[in-house]
Amino acid sequence: MQTIDNQVENKKKIKTFDQKEWIKENLSYKKDSGSWAWILHRITGIALIAYLFLHIYSLSPLTEGKAAFNSKMEQFTTPFFMVLEWFLFAFVLFHALNGIRIVIVDWADGAKYHKPLYRLSWIVGIILFLGMGFLMFSYEIGVLTK
Amino acid sequence: MYKYRSSKNSGSKSWVIQRITGIALVVFMIGHYILMHYHPDSGHTYEAVLSRMQYSWYRIIDLSFLVLGMYHGLNGVWNIFRDYNLKPWQNITILSLILILGIAFTAWGFTIIFSIPYVDSLSLSGN
Repeated sequence: MQTIDNQVENKKKIKTFDQKEWIKENLSYKKDSGSWAWILHRITGIALIAYLFLHIYSLSPLTEGKAAFNSKMEQFTTPFFMVLEWFLFAFVLFHALNGIRIVIVDWADGAKYHKPLYRLSWIVGIILFLGMGFLMFSYEIGVLTK
Repeated sequence: MYKYRSSKNSGSKSWVIQRITGIALVVFMIGHYILMHYHPDSGHTYEAVLSRMQYSWYRIIDLSFLVLGMYHGLNGVWNIFRDYNLKPWQNITILSLILILGIAFTAWGFTIIFSIPYVDSLSLSGN
């Protein structure tokens, strides 16, 4: 009888997920490269799906023909929007490169070298990010070459 | 046997599909970025869009990109919510919102692509 009572007592003690405390709970975990990758993968993923909705909305003037679309696009070729577009590329880069890392970990025994892969994805990402910045600001709007 | 109906589904198929669509999206994304940035005008003018859209295979690729991106993105959002042990009414509300938004915006994307006309090559080069 007592052992059953103990079991019930133990079940009550098992910590279940508390919806109200989830931010605190997530922050309290000790984080290494894998947990940072997981957090950033989620943040960039949410940002990218939000951007996809925005992308469909911003391309909708295509239905109204040339004048409407080109005047809308002029807004997006200002330096401010070009910088936003550049940072969008950073989000795409992180999500894509970390996504490749996840597939390698899941399917190609990458769990053995997931930390070097994480560092490699940052190095490749930063190089591509800077390359894109050069392409956008020197060639496309000529800020650097003028 | 199962506490909730949804626990019959282990989610392993969704996991595999998420990886496959992810790999496909990386390939599509590389093509998308090259196409949009190989020339300053290629991403931001109606003429460039119109000339690309003259090829039906390009429309098919664009629409597949949209469907894959929408599926992968919203499935990802749903997976995030599934981590947080929500109450059934919360899950139903969130899943309904995800489905309605996903279907509505995909349909919007389709109507945008289909609204772009096919023009004859003479008037295209005249621009």
